[in-house]
Amino acid sequence: MNGNAFSFSQLGTLIRGSAVYRSIVRHGTAETNRNRSLVIFENLFLHVHPVKVREKTLKFSHTYWLGGITVSALVVLIATGILLMFYYHPSVPQAYRDMKELKFVVDNGVFYRNLHRWAAHLMVLGALLHMGRVFYHRAYRPPRQFNWVIGVVLLLVTLLLSYTGYLLPWDQLAFWGVSVGTNMAKEAPILGPPLRFLMLGGNIVSENALLRFYVLHCVLLPAALFGFLGVHIWRVRKDGGVQGPPEPPADDEVEP
Amino acid sequence: MPLRRIFAITSILFLAVLAVSPLKNALRPYRGFQRAFARLGAARAKSLQAAKTYQQQPVAIRQIWLPDFENRVDRCTTCHLGVQDASMAGAPEPFRLHPATYHTPKDSGRFGCTACHGGQGLATLEKDAHGDVADAESPMVPLKFIESGCGRCHSSEQVAGAATLSLGRATLERNGCYACHTVKGHEAFRSEAPPIEAVSLKTGAEALRRWLKDPKAVDANATMPRFQLSPSEVEELSNYVFSLTPGRTLADRVQAAAAEPTGDVAKGKALFAESRCISCHTLEGKGNGSAPELSKVASRASAGWLLAFIRDPHAFNSRTRMPQFNFSADDARHVVAYMESEFKDFDAPKEILDPLHVNQTLAEKGKVLFRQKGCFACHAPGVEVDRFGPALDGIGDKRAASLDFGKRTDIARTLPAWLEAKIKAPGSFQDGLKMPTFALSPKEAQAAVTALLSLGARPVPQPYRSAPTVRASLLPGGAVGALMDKYRCLSCHQIGDRGGDISTAPLTAEGSKVKRDWLVNYLVLSFTIRPILTDRMPVFRMSKDEAAQLAQAFETFYLDPRIPEDPYAGQPATSRDPVEGKRLYDTLGCRACHILGAGGGYYGPPLTEAGTRLKPGWTYAWLKGPQKWRADVRCPNYGLADADALRLTSYLDTLVKSSTASKAKRGGTR
Repeated sequence: MNGNAFSFSQLGTLIRGSAVYRSIVRHGTAETNRNRSLVIFENLFLHVHPVKVREKTLKFSHTYWLGGITVSALVVLIATGILLMFYYHPSVPQAYRDMKELKFVVDNGVFYRNLHRWAAHLMVLGALLHMGRVFYHRAYRPPRQFNWVIGVVLLLVTLLLSYTGYLLPWDQLAFWGVSVGTNMAKEAPILGPPLRFLMLGGNIVSENALLRFYVLHCVLLPAALFGFLGVHIWRVRKDGGVQGPPEPPADDEVEP
Repeated sequence: MPLRRIFAITSILFLAVLAVSPLKNALRPYRGFQRAFARLGAARAKSLQAAKTYQQQPVAIRQIWLPDFENRVDRCTTCHLGVQDASMAGAPEPFRLHPATYHTPKDSGRFGCTACHGGQGLATLEKDAHGDVADAESPMVPLKFIESGCGRCHSSEQVAGAATLSLGRATLERNGCYACHTVKGHEAFRSEAPPIEAVSLKTGAEALRRWLKDPKAVDANATMPRFQLSPSEVEELSNYVFSLTPGRTLADRVQAAAAEPTGDVAKGKALFAESRCISCHTLEGKGNGSAPELSKVASRASAGWLLAFIRDPHAFNSRTRMPQFNFSADDARHVVAYMESEFKDFDAPKEILDPLHVNQTLAEKGKVLFRQKGCFACHAPGVEVDRFGPALDGIGDKRAASLDFGKRTDIARTLPAWLEAKIKAPGSFQDGLKMPTFALSPKEAQAAVTALLSLGARPVPQPYRSAPTVRASLLPGGAVGALMDKYRCLSCHQIGDRGGDISTAPLTAEGSKVKRDWLVNYLVLSFTIRPILTDRMPVFRMSKDEAAQLAQAFETFYLDPRIPEDPYAGQPATSRDPVEGKRLYDTLGCRACHILGAGGGYYGPPLTEAGTRLKPGWTYAWLKGPQKWRADVRCPNYGLADADALRLTSYLDTLVKSSTASKAKRGGTR
């Protein structure tokens, strides 16, 4: 390779020196601490990440990666959900039939549908365990009290997403699951009955309910989730990064 | 660093898992079937070109899409590739050519597969498609019930080409299923069972007990089911029946008839035979079987009742199918004398017809039982009908999961198996069920299940619906309607799709077929039309006036627009050529089946007097294609040109009755 007039390292240098590359990556290529910091600062996807990460926070037992697992599940859900939306009609004569089409005709249809389903389970489980981990690590205490509240909201949105998705196959399980769920909501004092009416778009689980649940599942709740998730991750950074197991208290803090 | 190693290994594992789904996709079973079909087709092909066509078929999902039939998508043909391929006759499944029926294989594209066969048309995997899984949504209909598919679209009672379905619908009707169960189209059903009040006039306590215990044991033609009554329940019901007061006039008639002198047995025997009673009744099992067995009837009904009933059956039971035979007072006595002497159960106790001394307490209990057991549904249907059995509409689409199998753990948990077991032994599911036992033959049970499975939950969409055009209720009104009711024409003849199947001559187009004068004479004195048959219409002794009225009405109402009134209209004059017609008659070999003059075969009706009986329009229409008018007729279709058919018609029309030979036909050919 070295004998070649035009080696790969030369090609790399050429590309990195080009105007187009410089317009995208503003910082230089020198292996300096400043540049390393700029890589994080100037990247849309990485800028919420702390510039410096302490090695102990990367240890598995520090956070059990639960927040990360939950976000990864979300990514899978978005990807598979968009694919499923290509085949699914939120209408009574079509909805269940589309499940059949996914199973019998669409290439890898069963795989995408099952992936969506299992990722949804994983996301709910991950979010719950994440909350437990935070609770037992006393990470809800100041300065993170606000982010704890955001986290609780995110958990609720996650549960609602899971519940609205439950109706969409329009099978018996879905129908009765939602019948029971909305009847439970109805039992709430004063607000219950109008809340149920609002959810179902009527008094029975019908095509109105299917359409509402579909819009909630695919538009409103994901929008809410992205909003709160942005704040949540941003606040993790602003509140001093992830908090692992609390330090053992200093001697003078121990009560006699 | 172990973390990196874990990351690497899980990444590879993840990729491997991701590869599973596309791999499964590539190995779907239908691809194998399609490749096997291509090989088989190429091997069976007659030419190189045809073989190539098979091999060039792409491997892909095939489907029949019916947007106007519930948006059905049937992918059965993805594997069953040979259903419409004539070269696949006798090929191994799943490639075999579909057997020929009215709609298949040529119309498979119009009806799809699941409309008749059930199963899941969307599926492309065998188990899912056939429904061989627990709690399958729509499992396939077993082949012995396949005619239920015909009944989904064809809602008439008789469906041509679907013998099992037609038998099943007749079975449901005959056994009075519609008396307890609501079924759309049968809301007006009323059982032919006699009103309960007059039973005490007819029979005795012991005879009634035997009947209640098991009607079929008393009379093999009985349509009343067995109610599994305990001896005390039989006693209570008997007491109730005898506690009722029959109508005054009926009681008087029976009493007066009982007091009349007995008639002549020998004359009665001749009359009995002449009246063709076994057109409907049986004698020791011989006969049609749509009316009671008569060989022991004198031990079930009193002489007075028999006499009064034969004179005026409709007074006793307005819904009976028995026509009015206008016997003279003496003739009726002779017939009953004959029945009394011959049709007795000689093993029965003497007191079998003695009345019951009513115990009021038992009668009260019997009254409750009469309601509880549902006897009233057939025996006393009031103005408002109380059909207390579950509605049967949509039963053919019921999920097996919603059926109560009760104690029957021995049968498959499918709807057809449930229906079959239910219809054979309703009591076996649970104790205390109300449905009685109908002693159906295995064939009738299979047919009845077929008819039940044809009752779908949703009506099929309009283009596929085939409803009967003429309903039985379209009897003419007024005096003619009353006459047709008096002689119960519909007990034997069919009009449209309704009526009995005893007569081979439907009345639907009778007015277009026969000449009025002939019909009047025939109604007054009927005879066998085809020499090969001994059965004929009974002689009703109707007056000439009545016959004329009926004949006129038939000529007015029962016409077929496809049969021309004057077939010669608009045809060249040369087509009316009896001489050429006679030549055609001889060359076509009509003589092989028809008698004309001195010679001819015995299979078809004699044509000696064809011109007296048949209208030329009918003769012409018949000659143009006999099978159009009766599917099972053996008369060959010669494909005659219009002119030839007319010539033959004009010849047959000249064959009129010579006035001298008028009395030759009396009394049939027994």
